[in-house]
Amino acid sequence: MSSRTCHTCGGTDIDVDQARGSAVCTSCGSVLEDNIIVSEVQFVEGSGGVSSAVGQFVSADGPVKAPQLGSGFHTSVGKESRAQTLQSGKRQIQQLGSQLQLNQHCLDTAFNFFKMVVSKHLTRGRKMEHVIAACLYLVCRTEGTPHMLLDLSDLLQVNVYILGKTFLLLARELCINAPAIDPCLYIPRFAHMLDFGTKTHDVSMTALRLVQRMKRDWMHTGRRPSGLCGAALLVAARMHTFRRTVKDVISVVKVCQTTLRKRLTEFEETPTSQLTIDEFMRVDLEQECDPPSFTAGQHKTKMQQLENELTRKLDEVEGEISCYKNEIETELEKSRPKLRGIYAAYAREIDPEDTEVLSSASDLEEAESEEAELQAATQHLTQDFLCQVMEEEVGQDRKTDGVRQKMGPEEEGGGALRQVAPLATILGKLTTTAPFDLQQTFDPSPEDDETEHGVLDLDGIDDQEIEKYILNDREVQVKTELWMKQNAEYLQEQREKDERIRKEKEQGTYKEKKKKKSKKGEQVEALTAGEAIEKMLEKKKISRKINYDVLRDLNSRGGGSSPAHPPNTNTDVQQKLSRRRQRRSSGVNYELAANASIMGKRFHRLISTTTTTTKKKKRVESQVQNPVTMTTTTTTTTTTKAVAETSHDPEPHPTSSTAVPPTVEEEEEEEVEEEECVSALQLVGDYGCEEEEVF
Amino acid sequence: MDSSNDDALDIIITNVVATFRTRCHLNLRTIALEGTNVIYKPEVGKVLMKLRKPKITASIWSSGKIICTGATSEDDAKVGARRLARCLQKLGFKVRFSAFKVVNVLAVCSMPFAIHLVDFTKNNRPIASYEPELHPAATYRIKHLKATIQVFSTGSLTVTGPNVQNVATAVEQVYPLLFECQKPLREKRRGELRSQE
Repeated sequence: MSSRTCHTCGGTDIDVDQARGSAVCTSCGSVLEDNIIVSEVQFVEGSGGVSSAVGQFVSADGPVKAPQLGSGFHTSVGKESRAQTLQSGKRQIQQLGSQLQLNQHCLDTAFNFFKMVVSKHLTRGRKMEHVIAACLYLVCRTEGTPHMLLDLSDLLQVNVYILGKTFLLLARELCINAPAIDPCLYIPRFAHMLDFGTKTHDVSMTALRLVQRMKRDWMHTGRRPSGLCGAALLVAARMHTFRRTVKDVISVVKVCQTTLRKRLTEFEETPTSQLTIDEFMRVDLEQECDPPSFTAGQHKTKMQQLENELTRKLDEVEGEISCYKNEIETELEKSRPKLRGIYAAYAREIDPEDTEVLSSASDLEEAESEEAELQAATQHLTQDFLCQVMEEEVGQDRKTDGVRQKMGPEEEGGGALRQVAPLATILGKLTTTAPFDLQQTFDPSPEDDETEHGVLDLDGIDDQEIEKYILNDREVQVKTELWMKQNAEYLQEQREKDERIRKEKEQGTYKEKKKKKSKKGEQVEALTAGEAIEKMLEKKKISRKINYDVLRDLNSRGGGSSPAHPPNTNTDVQQKLSRRRQRRSSGVNYELAANASIMGKRFHRLISTTTTTTKKKKRVESQVQNPVTMTTTTTTTTTTKAVAETSHDPEPHPTSSTAVPPTVEEEEEEEVEEEECVSALQLVGDYGCEEEEVF
Repeated sequence: MDSSNDDALDIIITNVVATFRTRCHLNLRTIALEGTNVIYKPEVGKVLMKLRKPKITASIWSSGKIICTGATSEDDAKVGARRLARCLQKLGFKVRFSAFKVVNVLAVCSMPFAIHLVDFTKNNRPIASYEPELHPAATYRIKHLKATIQVFSTGSLTVTGPNVQNVATAVEQVYPLLFECQKPLREKRRGELRSQE
């Protein structure tokens, strides 16, 4: 409706009719415009009398082409990269958000965050799913929904700390201050999952009170809120006479048993735990506790202090004792009958052992000098003896009986052992300082200093010591041998690789292969060994002729008996083995069930090893012979045997499968359908070859 | 509240990481075979050498770059690095000691009071962050000092920074903030602490 003037009469009063789309001058009546573009909403009658508005919704997100019928390709048709990213992000957010049961408002907010992230180029170098998850978690935190980061990581199968890292980074960059998590948020959610029926609300309330109490007692700082919730819910459930075991709670709350128990013990130590249920609901204690780790730290320091005091006192006591000991010894020396002649020689030997024991069976001699000598000798010898004893003690795990005897009766019995320790420390110090003294005598003569830039300034560097760091020739030889032996396979491989490359070069077929990062074997997530086998089989598509259904049934039986697989080659060896096993296996069936668990565990290992790439095929070949001989001699059951072999071969070679086998005959003794089953071990071994079994 | 309290806070440096270059190519196999206290890791391509005197572990690459970790002070790190270079020289390489730089310093410190982490984070919003689901400590990053402080609820701190001076400054800076959010100890505890001191 522009204020125009009429051409003919100059009048400004123009009447615009929206319905007809015309503009007419009211004074002279001339039509100024016809077919003005109207912006009315038009309705159309559809089938069944339904009126619908005409038009299309245009998204506010940018130039989006109308989806063409029959193409289904919304993404890659002539759009710029940014729009594509945003659209794909939106889709992923919707997907993930619906799994978390977030409402539309949250999802829109998350998408806004995502747009901000993209505009700040923070998606570069990060996986899209991590970024999406972080955006969603941001929304959860700001809205205060009871979603944990753990839930997101469960859905995406990503390590929770990686997600956490991304989340922290985004929060920092977008300057979004997410409020801290309150454990009270999670209580209703967990309570629902724990299935309390009509009393859910009561239990939740009690648990809430408990959590608040825990917060006041400083148990919640630095801890995962889910752990606290778990403990509170467990106690609340018990208070309302629901029997919820620790296992139930931890499966819901996703912490481990130890954590839960620890929280419970910590709560036990607070004064609140002493109240009865009624008291707790009514009264709230005034005092607050210190955080448990703080008290633990205090406790530790106190223990250490006590220990220090103890050792100090011991030292004092020890000092006293040694005083007494010296005095007693001197007295004994004086009163001891002196030995003469040949006996003197003996005396010097037996002296250390019998310092306190009077040996009265020999003649005396009155020489003062001898006495002094003897005294000195005894002193010296006792010291030596003590050293020896220390070493013995240290070496022999505290065999103190002999020592106690020798140490003698005049020392308090209990004090003996403790005395040994402090003496050891004293003597120990003596022995170790010796080399240091020697060291320091070789004082470092300062080397010639080259003062050029970048060259080593050797001031204060002890060359002698550095010499020690370098082995001499002989040692080098020994070490070289050792190293060569240890890394023989690696070197062998390197050599072969070089040869291969050389050959290819000669032939002209050498291709410069870029070193690929070895793909880590994907961890097969499975609850039981059976599931793991299934998944692996699906992935590898081992054989068309295997009856997978029967294989699955294996599990339901508890893996009771390993399925049969008629051998491919070396049938005579096989049959011999099988016959032998048949004899042994008759009484074995009941054991199989027990071994199933072992087998399960080993299968798991087997699977994880088979999916990783190994370089050592050659080694396998050489080892194949060994299992064959081994199997014939072991007396364990067939299943464990079979498993033991495969655990030797990281990648079972086709020929090794011949040595493997659980037998056909054995199965014939059992139910018929088992005959058609294929041993999973065989499957794994045979995925290279096509010689299939006959059912 | 003063920025330094009555009894001084002990900042104990636990680790200093430094790098330097030898300006020459090193043959790792020789080092591995002729040195004591060496671990050779061919798959990664480095040799770990441990020294006893300043207790130091060094990662030696064949390009001549060396990283020294485990020293307890900056001087110690330098002495250890020079020792190491001397050792390599003796093994026969033409080693020149250049570009020595202390890259990281890790220190621990303990406050005499417990800290309420939630309050601390609330007061220092964008600089401090606390995620109990991920880590029990609150992280406080000082951008201009390039230092990171991890604050635990028991009052212990770990500080990492590019050099010792920065670390000390960081502790000084953060102390008043922590003092505000401290948790008052119970009377009994306070009495015990005093008797211990």
